[in-house]
Amino acid sequence: MSVLTAFKENDTYTVGVELELQLVDLKDFNLAMEAKDFLRRLSEIPLPAEIKPEITLAMIEFNSSIHLSYPSLIHELRSLRNIVAREAAQTHIGICGGGAHPFQKWKEQRIFPTERFNTLSEHYGYLAKQLTTFGQHIHIGCKNGDEALYLCHAMARYIPQFIALSAASPFHQGVDTRFDCSRLTTISSFPLSGTPPLGSLTWKEFELYFEKMFNLGVVKSMKDFYWDIRPKPEYGTVELRICDTPLTVDKAADLAAYAQMLIYWLIENQPPFVPDIYLTYSYNRFNAARYGMDAVFIDPKLGQHIPISEQILDTCKQLEPYAKQLNCQPALAGIRTAAYEHKNDASWLRNKYYQFGSLNDMVRSQTALWQANNFLDNI
Amino acid sequence: MQTLPHFPLQDNVVSLFGLTLLLGLISGELIKRTYFLPKISGYIAIGFLVGPHMLNMVTPSLLSSSRIFVDISLGLILFQLGRHLDFTWLREDPGIIWMSMAEALLTFIFIFATLISFSFYWFNALLGATIAVTTAPAVVMMVADDLAAKGPVTRRTFILTSLNNLIGLILFTLLLASAQSESPFELISLASYRLLGSFFLGIIMFLITLFIAYLTGKYKENQFILFVGSVTFTIGISTILNLSSMLTLFTLGVAARNFNFKNLLTEVDFGWLAKLFFILLFVVTGVHLHINALFQFPGIVLAFLIVRALGKSCGIWLFSKKSRLTAQQSWAICFALTPMAGLALGMSNIISDLNSSLGYQLMSIITTAIAILNIFGPIATQLAFVRSDETTQRFHEDPL
Repeated sequence: MSVLTAFKENDTYTVGVELELQLVDLKDFNLAMEAKDFLRRLSEIPLPAEIKPEITLAMIEFNSSIHLSYPSLIHELRSLRNIVAREAAQTHIGICGGGAHPFQKWKEQRIFPTERFNTLSEHYGYLAKQLTTFGQHIHIGCKNGDEALYLCHAMARYIPQFIALSAASPFHQGVDTRFDCSRLTTISSFPLSGTPPLGSLTWKEFELYFEKMFNLGVVKSMKDFYWDIRPKPEYGTVELRICDTPLTVDKAADLAAYAQMLIYWLIENQPPFVPDIYLTYSYNRFNAARYGMDAVFIDPKLGQHIPISEQILDTCKQLEPYAKQLNCQPALAGIRTAAYEHKNDASWLRNKYYQFGSLNDMVRSQTALWQANNFLDNI
Repeated sequence: MQTLPHFPLQDNVVSLFGLTLLLGLISGELIKRTYFLPKISGYIAIGFLVGPHMLNMVTPSLLSSSRIFVDISLGLILFQLGRHLDFTWLREDPGIIWMSMAEALLTFIFIFATLISFSFYWFNALLGATIAVTTAPAVVMMVADDLAAKGPVTRRTFILTSLNNLIGLILFTLLLASAQSESPFELISLASYRLLGSFFLGIIMFLITLFIAYLTGKYKENQFILFVGSVTFTIGISTILNLSSMLTLFTLGVAARNFNFKNLLTEVDFGWLAKLFFILLFVVTGVHLHINALFQFPGIVLAFLIVRALGKSCGIWLFSKKSRLTAQQSWAICFALTPMAGLALGMSNIISDLNSSLGYQLMSIITTAIAILNIFGPIATQLAFVRSDETTQRFHEDPL
């Protein structure tokens, strides 16, 4: 019997998201160590979905329910956002999106006191506190483990698109990094980051790989792999983990819908997996993180350099039938507009910084945008 | 010869300032090693040691020369305290206003009744009750800063301290006007001038600060100088106009927090400068303290301390459900609000100068109560933050 949990089979390509969010102090807009008390307050009221702790005390995580498509997902995310924003206002903290807080000092962060997070902190040392970054994970249901592994590799070509579209972490430790997404650099520091192994293209092969890693004492569960995309057997999904948390829940829903449409397309069209995609994988990943919507995708199969915005527009075109079928045209329109305008959340954040001349005020605007109400100053 | 020093050697205020910092530093570090006493206890202990009741190294003339440093320290503290009073939070959680009103009012009523029951004159009982309302903002700020405390209990302690100081300052301004007036008309005009004048001046100073911020830009270095300049200028102007400098600076802080609509002001950390002034303030507070009344009037002192703690705790607990606090958080806030303001010493001295009927007994009791609460208050505040798990330093010693 395999040490890896059996893959839970799904009939449909459902969608669900996890959003890691920042808790901020409304006095100075630095991160606020409030997760414990805030989660206790949230536990006292009915919520449409689950909200969980994350590794440090200034983070919380939204877990949506499982959805067939975009309309119900965005509805749930909006209502969850409204409830959480109201609770946050009562205890006077702010909540915002974005892949990294622009000026928090990692050494000031405190680990959320659970056994798992304490073990991670003990094992990873300073990396655990540096993991105070905020990502969006998208789960798409799969029929079986073989399909999940095919999708993990087939999606490699599209990973840079998701990085560029979601990039929302241009500032790090008080500095403009000149990256649109600085968060990925932190993730890359972990020894088990990267991609699933090329040698395991079927679930059987993957089980053998996992067993070896397990017996060598490298991993205890799938959670220990910090890959950009990974199978999640207990949910029966592939989990896309590359995105920064966007500045709004609407954008998060757009990205999730884009991933779902793409997976429908991949499953129906079954483009053959080209191992050469990994020749330029890291470089394309870097390009997308560094230049965002102005990045260039190097296609090793065609031997071409393609602007990522053009690649996104081409993908949008091929996904149109699925947008209609899944009732997610607004999501596809949002993705297309971002590609046309070469704009992502990183450009929004930089604009705010240059408008106000202060990172504190930039976070103030971020908070107001996420909470989508007017109790903070006008953005 | 002119170039040689004259004997006996003369003290001067600059050497006192330096000596205060050096002794404060040493005692603070020594105290830190106990792992349960906050550094403040060390600063106060040094002041007490060099003060008139122990080694008598600090003369009254030297103390009055150091007044400028103490005034600037208090000014910065009150400005910072005002900046903790965020109207948005009060609007979203009115429970905080109720809690603050309850703890201040109950403390006031309980202390007033206690002093009356010990046959104090009503005016003196009012003064004692007013002084008991305030929590020491400097102690709360310094303990929070030392432990890098951040979290719901720390934030609520700040806003409740801010509110009870506002109530205390208003009551004190009224009492002061009453001590200086001989007719009701005079009382009303003097109280109105002092209260409204202080609020008005605070707003004017805020507008001037805002205008300078507009001209000089939102650079942290500029705004640091801007705030320190505005605070010291406000102290001077309010003194010239015979207004309450404490209330004016508090208003300036409140306005900077709540009326900065165009975000021209940014968050500035007074950091090292504040630490220097805080050390000086605590040492000087220590110089003024004594515990004579503990031996002369032990019953009244104990009653004062117990009743004050009771008033504050009842007020917090009455409205803790409304603000959805846990029992642990409510207890922590009760403890954290324990320190009594050193500026209460200044308040009682001012009134005592104007009103000779105040008497030795009340002054002695107040000074002793402040001394005891300055010894145990910082420990209680520290305990509150540590037990609430809101601290990063010292008690969670972490090489990271």
